[in-house]
Amino acid sequence: MSNVQHHTTAPAVSVGTRITPYRVRPSTVQLFRFSAVTWNAHRIHYDAAYARSEGYADVVVQSHLHGCFLANAVLAWAGPGAYLSTFGWENRAVAVAGVLLTVTGTVTALDTALDNAREGGRTVAEVTLEEHDEHGTLCAPGHARVVLPGGIR
Amino acid sequence: MTENLEEDYLRLQALLGRERTETLGVVSGRDLMRFAVAARCPPGQVPLFLSSLMGWDAGPAEDRLGTDGAGATETRGLPLGEVRLMGAGQELEFHAPVTAETTIVVHTRLAEVRLKHGRSGPLLIMRILRRFTDETDRPLLTCQESFIAR
Repeated sequence: MSNVQHHTTAPAVSVGTRITPYRVRPSTVQLFRFSAVTWNAHRIHYDAAYARSEGYADVVVQSHLHGCFLANAVLAWAGPGAYLSTFGWENRAVAVAGVLLTVTGTVTALDTALDNAREGGRTVAEVTLEEHDEHGTLCAPGHARVVLPGGIR
Repeated sequence: MTENLEEDYLRLQALLGRERTETLGVVSGRDLMRFAVAARCPPGQVPLFLSSLMGWDAGPAEDRLGTDGAGATETRGLPLGEVRLMGAGQELEFHAPVTAETTIVVHTRLAEVRLKHGRSGPLLIMRILRRFTDETDRPLLTCQESFIAR
């Protein structure tokens, strides 16, 4: 389950603003469904006995699902009408089903995009992101450039 | 395994910089919605849909999958032997949202390949550049993806 709270307005934002923490505890059902929809048949994601035979404690969160959690965090914070311009992440440590993952982030720069047809005139926030497990291990650092729905509030 | 990885490395070096274009198919609204549900995306937001999909065709029969369940089509079209391919992250640039009924074309290029000898043995590190467009060549997404193969 996740504690997703999708904001309904643009966030008040300045450099140094911390985004709303995003917490998710991926279940075995979620991992199975993500494997199904992405057509990923690797057994470490849905076959617990096989995952254990590979040395993992349980089925393993997909690398792309870690990316989705980071993207979800910044988009849920930014609110409706926001969208990603650029986004990236690295997979650093494995997480397994049932582990609580928390995504945090900080606004590092603000810009008003004037020269891009899609972003023109809107506020763009650059955000650094980190996803940690409940033991404090950094599973996935990331970064996003998110076009906010309105101006700086 | 070391010899196999070295053979893979030599094969991959020959592919560096060559772009391959492939029409993947038409995005279905159902698949977009299923992705959003599975990944618990905020409403109307599925930015990682295109770059997360491992395959667009029916895929190999079960008896042609490896013992780990992975199929040869999950190597982004690269001629790899029986290796374990692990996603190490992506860098994405979004050009336009992906909507249902869009025909997706992917232009794939191997940008970098390195053979490394780590503590747990040899591994290949690859960077693959994929440009997703629609059938009119309108850019949708640029994805640089890093993989580790053991």
